[in-house]
Amino acid sequence: MRTERDGIDVDDPWEAIEVCYERGWTDGLPVVPPTEALVEHTLAAGPWTPDHVLLFEPVRSRAVTAEKAAINAVMAGCRPEYFPVVGAALTALGDPAFELHGPATSTGGAALMVIVNGPARLHLGVNGTANLFGPGFRANATIGRALRLVLLNCLDCRPGVLDKSTQGWPGKYSLCFAENEEASPWEPLSVARGFRADQSTVTVYAAESGHNVLSHGTRSPERLLALFADAMAGLGSLSPGRSVIVVAPEHAKHLRHAGWDRARTQAWLYEHAWRSLADLKRAGKVEPAFFTNPKLLEWIYRDADGGTPSGPLDPDLAERVTAADEVVRVHRGLGPEDILLCVGGGEAGGHSAFFPSWSRGRSVPFVTREVPS
Amino acid sequence: MIRILDPTLRTALSSTASRAPRARHLAGATIGLLANGKSNGIMLLDRIADVLRERHGVGEVVRVAKTNASVPVSDEDAEMLAKRCAAVITAIGD
Repeated sequence: MRTERDGIDVDDPWEAIEVCYERGWTDGLPVVPPTEALVEHTLAAGPWTPDHVLLFEPVRSRAVTAEKAAINAVMAGCRPEYFPVVGAALTALGDPAFELHGPATSTGGAALMVIVNGPARLHLGVNGTANLFGPGFRANATIGRALRLVLLNCLDCRPGVLDKSTQGWPGKYSLCFAENEEASPWEPLSVARGFRADQSTVTVYAAESGHNVLSHGTRSPERLLALFADAMAGLGSLSPGRSVIVVAPEHAKHLRHAGWDRARTQAWLYEHAWRSLADLKRAGKVEPAFFTNPKLLEWIYRDADGGTPSGPLDPDLAERVTAADEVVRVHRGLGPEDILLCVGGGEAGGHSAFFPSWSRGRSVPFVTREVPS
Repeated sequence: MIRILDPTLRTALSSTASRAPRARHLAGATIGLLANGKSNGIMLLDRIADVLRERHGVGEVVRVAKTNASVPVSDEDAEMLAKRCAAVITAIGD
């Protein structure tokens, strides 16, 4: 085996796979050996020159070029035509507002969710129907995996080293799916976020593990959405952060028949996804540091009379439950716009999903970018 | 024989990164403390500063606390620390 600056010479693909393991270049699964020919084909499928920086991570000053992205995309098993989606997703992750260093390294163990909209879903075969979060679809499995390999190999987000996830979750291998636009009662997510329906887009999100919202027993929007709101208000994940709701086609149909548009559904969910401040305190969800953090103080007391604590700001206030706390509502997020609604899943079954955002704070925003055609 | 390409930034980084000069003596030296924005970072660094005073007699201690752990230290703070301090210690304290 001979090593040179830009690569390693090996005898055959099997040795290549093992060398990638030995070097720590994999996510635990075997990778496709990134030969020069495969990387060239992948680069040729995108509009970027090899040295174009797709993602710059400022905390550790790391620039991920199209060439490095293509090498990792090949290793992930991407077909060359997936590369524009991978590149667009990296560009979205590199938006300064996304503050990638946090979700990439935090104990929270976020997955990088990628929602694909537009024509690319269909011509690349990104699944948005049955089993969209599960196995069986090359685009879903490998596009998200390419992002994870970039984090591992280019940003050094290695488990237990820079990636300090307490537990992580399987979505960290890959969490890429399409919106089932055909089953949606609303305009596509991409259109709601300012793009045209004929443009393909990716929307990225720092996601904690999903929660199944199961309902086969009602067609009433209020009864149905009460289940979503209940999951969103679970104390385990309650935060001032964001939410992604992937509505199953069967549930979407009930909202369509009742004429509920996206904005009304978001507003209803925000209004009903809350717990009392007393509940939060009894569960130990209020930390002393919250009372010196204006953003968290605003979150807790935004529905209270005067928007502030009714008593003095003493050190015990985080745990001391007052009568006033019983009627202070603490909502998930800071407003309806913090709830991203899209449609996904197969025709049959009343199974939707709620994905809480990473972090006990605001987390990072949704970022949408066009996929170059 | 096939060639596989390196997916890391190893070679790109090795040509650009260099270490700052090491502080040779701590006695009387100005030490910077850079907390990364987590709630216990300042507490952890203050304890370290106490130990450095007791064992090594460090001089002035300059504190900077980032307000957000996910973003880099500001250029202004980095320049100030570089100008004033012989060494800077950073901590998470989560």
